[in-house]
Amino acid sequence: MRSGGHISSLHGHLRIVVCIIAAVLVGRLFYVQIIDGKYDALAESNIMRPEIEYPMRGEVVDRHGEPLIRSRVCYDVMVVWDNLPKSGFDSLHLISILDIPIEKLRREMRRAKQAPHSPHLVVGYLPQDAKLILDESGFDGFYTRFRTAREYPRKIGGNLLGYVSEISEEQLKKWRNYAAGDYVGVGGIESYYEADLRGEKGVSYRIRDTRGAVKGAYDGGANDLLPEKGKRIVSTIDGRLQEFAEELMVGKIGSVVAIEPSTGEILVMVSSPTYNPDLMVGRQRGNNYSEMLHNQRKPQYSRAIKENYPPGSTFKLVQGLIGLQEGVLTPSQRYECNQGFHYGVGSHARRQKCHVHRNNLNLREAVAHSCNAYFCYVFKNIITNRKYGNVKEGMRKWNEYVYSFGFGHKLGVDLYGEYGGYVPTPEHLDEVNGRYWNWGTVLSCAIGQGEMAATPLQMANLAATIANRGYYYTPHIVRSVEGRDSLDKRFYERHYTMVDSVHFETIIDGMWMSVNKEGTSRLAYLKGWDVCGKTGTAQHDRKKPDKSSSYSDHSAFISFAPRNNPQIAIAVYIEHGGWGSSAAVPIASLIEEMYLTDTITRPELVDRMMNLSLDYGYYDVRQDKYDAERAANDAK
Amino acid sequence: MLSKYNISQERNTTSLFGKVDMVALGLYLALVVAGIVCIVSASYNEEVGSAFSLQHNYMKQIVWGGISMIFALVVLLLDRRLFHMFAYPAYIAGIGVLIAVLLFGREVNGAKAWFEFGGVRIQPVEFAKIATAMMMAKVMSDYSFNIRRLPDLVKVGLVIGIPLGIIILQNDTGSGLVLCSFLFVLYREGISKYIYFPIIFTVALFITSFIFTPVVIFTTLLILFTLYSAYKTWAWSVHIRFLALVLLAALLLSLLTSLSGYASLMVACSIAAVVLMGVALKTRTMVLIWPIMMFVYAMIFVPTCDYLFTKLEPHQQNRILTFVGMKEDPKGIDFNVNQSQIAIGSGGLTGKGFMDGTQIKYGFVPEKHTDFIFCVVGEEWGFMGTLTIIALYIALIMRLMKMGERIKEPFGRVYCYSVAAILLFHVWVNVGMTIGLMPVMGIPLPLMSYGGSSLVAFTILIMIAIRLDASTDDQSIYMK
Repeated sequence: MRSGGHISSLHGHLRIVVCIIAAVLVGRLFYVQIIDGKYDALAESNIMRPEIEYPMRGEVVDRHGEPLIRSRVCYDVMVVWDNLPKSGFDSLHLISILDIPIEKLRREMRRAKQAPHSPHLVVGYLPQDAKLILDESGFDGFYTRFRTAREYPRKIGGNLLGYVSEISEEQLKKWRNYAAGDYVGVGGIESYYEADLRGEKGVSYRIRDTRGAVKGAYDGGANDLLPEKGKRIVSTIDGRLQEFAEELMVGKIGSVVAIEPSTGEILVMVSSPTYNPDLMVGRQRGNNYSEMLHNQRKPQYSRAIKENYPPGSTFKLVQGLIGLQEGVLTPSQRYECNQGFHYGVGSHARRQKCHVHRNNLNLREAVAHSCNAYFCYVFKNIITNRKYGNVKEGMRKWNEYVYSFGFGHKLGVDLYGEYGGYVPTPEHLDEVNGRYWNWGTVLSCAIGQGEMAATPLQMANLAATIANRGYYYTPHIVRSVEGRDSLDKRFYERHYTMVDSVHFETIIDGMWMSVNKEGTSRLAYLKGWDVCGKTGTAQHDRKKPDKSSSYSDHSAFISFAPRNNPQIAIAVYIEHGGWGSSAAVPIASLIEEMYLTDTITRPELVDRMMNLSLDYGYYDVRQDKYDAERAANDAK
Repeated sequence: MLSKYNISQERNTTSLFGKVDMVALGLYLALVVAGIVCIVSASYNEEVGSAFSLQHNYMKQIVWGGISMIFALVVLLLDRRLFHMFAYPAYIAGIGVLIAVLLFGREVNGAKAWFEFGGVRIQPVEFAKIATAMMMAKVMSDYSFNIRRLPDLVKVGLVIGIPLGIIILQNDTGSGLVLCSFLFVLYREGISKYIYFPIIFTVALFITSFIFTPVVIFTTLLILFTLYSAYKTWAWSVHIRFLALVLLAALLLSLLTSLSGYASLMVACSIAAVVLMGVALKTRTMVLIWPIMMFVYAMIFVPTCDYLFTKLEPHQQNRILTFVGMKEDPKGIDFNVNQSQIAIGSGGLTGKGFMDGTQIKYGFVPEKHTDFIFCVVGEEWGFMGTLTIIALYIALIMRLMKMGERIKEPFGRVYCYSVAAILLFHVWVNVGMTIGLMPVMGIPLPLMSYGGSSLVAFTILIMIAIRLDASTDDQSIYMK
């Protein structure tokens, strides 16, 4: 059987078997190496590690070039679980370098383990010197990533400048050109000018081995992109003045807004209480943030653009101007004031109260003394003007005037979240009163009460409008952005009111009198500067818990100086500050003095105002209630 | 050097080397050198100062290459009769060492298959292969041996089965399976072809049992066998009715009783098998008996296979599952295979060049200098390289087969075929594993993979074949 054809056929069969096996192997190799192209890309992605290089965020300086926000170098500490040494590492040494508690390290290591191949952030904000120590100590699996953190040389403007935070999940969904872990501006300038400040991320392609260790640049770095620094922004803020204003506002709740009338540039914008912006940087940010979140005085809330206050008597200026323009009022017109404006008959008799002052005033004096009755007459005459047929149409006309002064709508400041205040429209009045309403129903609007509401920014804008004799520029907080020729064109347009500029002199006379001769604003007097001003003492609907009485009135003051070629227009609004003259006037005056003269001639007044700490029963009650609810929730 | 001219002249030179097959020797040397080149690429470490330092794996391999040359020389100088004489003692010693390693060996990667002497690891199974090959040759060249006789077949089965069993006990299944390559030799020696049917059937059942549920497998088998029988007997209507009856019975059982579909089918098939067997025996319809027996075998094998599978280590289970495509996990268990495919695939036609393989250099290929050395060929030398290496192996295997045919005595022929079969199996499994054709089994690429004991063992294995071939002309007395 082992001879002849049979054997050679067995031999032949086996040769065929060998050939088939060889053919299968070679065929598969041919497919893998020649036909299927996907392996090249897979091999590239194996060895290539794109490393994101974060840019320096742009800095923000004040109008004099002094830095408000700077970026400083810090590092993120990253870990890749797979690259940790099997034998473990000296965790005590590590936490001493990173300056974190051991629980934090354990927690982060647990998280890192869930995605063992990918880098996990252990802790951020590692200072340069600690980074060098970490590098020297050679912890395998850990590495650092260059980042920048914000710092604030003057520690001012927490709720004005905004802060920087890691991008949230919702934002990530909306904005395509961001990635997880990117920083993004929140609030204030940081948020509005995010696109300019953020800069461009760079990327460098490195070759890495299977343990993630970098072995050099990929392709000689030909595909790398350098990060591009964020743009420098020049703000309109005067840093020194802002700091001074913030100090003056300590212990008070409210707002200060100062505008350069000739440009609409915002010099000062304080929302008090504010906070030290450094609190929103670094590892304690979370704690600081939640502490602020629970504070019912809301230090992060930009009252200057978000709080709708009753403008109070400051609004009488608008009333007077409209009256003059409409021809229902002349500067010499006198009205009686019997401690108020009496209207209605019989059981419907009402009185709009007024404080005690000299009687039978003309327009200038009425402005200076802030007579309520006078402006009730004016307002009544405007909206009941026969020219318009009925009160509703009169009200509509009045609305148009008021809008032209920047009330009732957003001004368009370059900050997000601005409120527009409120001006009651005829439609709204119809809705509330069922069409049966007359001038008496809306009379409180005459003196900036009732449904009238305005933000401190709008009040400052009113001061600027009067200073300009009839127009304003949209207030803005940024003067220029590096690399841009100009800002949005809306900041260069004059917005004229519907009142001719000739009528303004009368009102300005009254404002000047109020400060310099007789009236409510005498404390604002600055020798040689012809300060003009108008106080406001605004009532509000914040009742005490026992409902029997209210908290003190809000104290308001708008002013500009000097009378000719005004350099500063300012509005100060202090919640529960009492009379306009008691809190708002001195603060506004000191800020004006500081801005105009660079000196303080009344140090005792500065001391008094800085140390003035108002009693905020309204907020304390809310805080207590909130804390009690929180405690109850926690207990659950 | 002696030229081919001498060899072709009936090898009548008195010098030993004149009779040595220079082609086989050349192929052997080429593969060893190619292996060392690849190991240089895979293991060069810049941090080690001198390029010739013995800390480099390739320097160690070169030293082992030198040692192998000494062994080769010794083997070639030995008298061929010594191999005949050594067969029994070598085999017994081999079995002894295998048992010893099972008892006292060192466990590496889950397999207790290694001895360690002062830093040098030796895998005795490498040498057991030589012993088994010689024993096969010895047994099968026996004067009275006839492979078609059952006692002789059992004898052969034992020669293979004893070391195989011990190796499997060592948990070194991959190496154990190498011994199955002797089926190749048995085929050459004229074993009944019917022995291959159950083997192929078993392998097919084994693989399909992971892919399909038992119900699917048995239903398919039932239909296939019935149709086969119907085709053979051409009694279609009877078979279709039978098929319908069994399936209907199974369906009714599963609907009317609490038995699962699988159990119902098994019950119905069991009854049908018994009845059918009775009919087949009574009517002497022999054509029915084979299908029935195979079906019954499947009914026993598949559940057993499932049961044994649960007894395997999780990593072995995973390997099998990924191999049959039941699991997709590029970062997990399949990682090795994926990475080696990426390395080989990215080599393209001409490769990335010596020492320029990024996947190799940066450590993405595991075991790159040992079991996955073929990735270095693939990535750095491309398809041209892999084609060349495969061609070298196939040429060597073909040459060994040719030498086997050329040798007149059965001992030499069986031995040469054994060596060819072992090489073929190694190449097939090892290369197949790097390109995703085979599951990951820890067996090296002969002559190329880093490892002293493996290189020495393969050298001896091949050199004995060459030595046996070299003495073709003075062996007439051994001829049957």
